[in-house]
Amino acid sequence: MNLRDGILAVRSSAAMSRLHHVHMVRIRGGGAFDAIDRIFTRDLYLRDGQMIHGLLLDEEARVFADCYLASDDQEFFLLGEGPDKHELLDYLRRHAAAFADVEILDAGEGHRLIGLDGPYAWELLARLVGQEVVGLPYLTFFFFEELLCCRAGKTGEFGYVIIAPEHTADDTWERLANAGGDLRVAEVTLDVLDHCALESWFFNVRAEGRRPVTPLELQLQWRISRRKEYVGSSSLQERRKSPVAQRLTCLVSDSPIQVDDVVRHGAAVVGQVVNAGFSPVRDDWVTLALLDTEYAYPGIADFRVGTEEIRARSVSPPVVNNRSLYVNPQVHSYATRHETDFPALRR
Amino acid sequence: MDPSLRALTERRRAMLDRVRTMLIERLNLSLTSEEIDPDTPLFGSGLALDSIDAVDLVIHLETDFGIRIPTDQAGRAELRTVNSIVDLALAVPEGPPDEPA
Repeated sequence: MNLRDGILAVRSSAAMSRLHHVHMVRIRGGGAFDAIDRIFTRDLYLRDGQMIHGLLLDEEARVFADCYLASDDQEFFLLGEGPDKHELLDYLRRHAAAFADVEILDAGEGHRLIGLDGPYAWELLARLVGQEVVGLPYLTFFFFEELLCCRAGKTGEFGYVIIAPEHTADDTWERLANAGGDLRVAEVTLDVLDHCALESWFFNVRAEGRRPVTPLELQLQWRISRRKEYVGSSSLQERRKSPVAQRLTCLVSDSPIQVDDVVRHGAAVVGQVVNAGFSPVRDDWVTLALLDTEYAYPGIADFRVGTEEIRARSVSPPVVNNRSLYVNPQVHSYATRHETDFPALRR
Repeated sequence: MDPSLRALTERRRAMLDRVRTMLIERLNLSLTSEEIDPDTPLFGSGLALDSIDAVDLVIHLETDFGIRIPTDQAGRAELRTVNSIVDLALAVPEGPPDEPA
C-alpha cells in the first residue's frame, strides 16, 4: 500500500501496523517504583490499568525515548520508541543500578506488538475482544485472554496497541485482518504512522526528537515534572534560568519543503525545518520548524523556506480535523459513517 | 522585525497570556503560565482536561472572551490546543460590550 492510501485509511477507516519500532520492558522488584520514579519524566500517579505518556531524557535533557509507562500488579511495563531495544535496556539498567532489588526485563522477547489506528479502530478491535473496548478510556489497558490491549496511539485517531504472545501473534493478526474486511482495514507502515503524527501534532522521536534540543523547545513541558528529580532534570532547571531561544512551530506550504531547509523572514534566518511531508488529506506540505521564539507564533504568512525561497505560513496545529473526534462508539459505526456530519479533513 | 509583524506577534502574545491565565485560574490548574506551552493539547494528553473541565471551559470562553462554542462533540473538537483558543479569541470582533437587556 502506498503512503497516500495508508494515510487515508488511518484518517477514514482503520489501519493495522506491526510496531517493530516499539520495545516493551518490564520493571519489577521492591525498588522498581523508586528506580522508575528517578528515570521517567512524569510524576508517577498511576493506578493499575492506567498508563502515562512521558519521556526518557539524557543528562543534557535531550530526548532519548518516547514512552508509555503502565502500572500492572506491583510492577511496571514501559513501551518505548526511539532507541533500539538494546540501547533502551542499557539506559534503564544503567540508571536503575543505584537502586536495590530492581529487575529490568526485555518483555518484548516472546511478544509482538500490533497497532490499530483510525476512527473505526475500536470497531475492529471489538470484533476480536468484545464490546469492553468501546468504553476503554484513553491511556488505559485491559487483558483479553493472552492479549494485552492498550488504548494509546499517536495519529490523532482512536488508537490501540495490542501485545500478543509470539505463539498467538500471527493468528491474532489474521483474525483482525479477516474481521475487518467490510471496514476496509489497511496494513500500514511506520512512514504512514509518522506522517499522521506530523499532521496531528504528536511528537516524533525519530524526527524533531533527534535534534539537540529539550522538551522546552519541543513544547513538551506537559510531559515533564517540576516536582521531582530525574535524569536530565538538573539540566532543564539550568536552562529555565534564561528564556528559551527556539520553539517548535507548525508551517504549511503549497510547495515542497525539505527537512533541514533554512527558514527566513525577510533577510533574517529565523530557524530550520525538522520534520516535513506532503499531506494528501490537505493537499499541501506540512512542516515543523524550530523557529526563534519571537517568530514562533501562528498567523505569520510570509516565511521563506530553503534555497528556492518557498513561501510558508505558520498555523496552529493540529492541521487535520480528526474524524475520531466526531465518532461516538456508543452510537456510530463504519457502516453508518455516511450519516455522520464530518467536517472537511483539512483544518 | 518589521513593525507590522511585531504588532501581530505582540497581539498574539498578549492573548496567549490571557488564555493561559484563564486556564490556570478558572480550571484551577497547578501550573504557572510559563509551564503551559502554546500548542499544548487540552484534552486526552497535554493539560488532560476532562468532560467537567470542558463544560467550565466553554462557559468561561463565553464570559471572558465572548467565544461561543457549542457544548456538543463538534464544539469540543474546536478546542484542540491552547493556541486554538487564542485563534478563536482573536477572531472575535472587537467592539463595545453588550448592553444589559
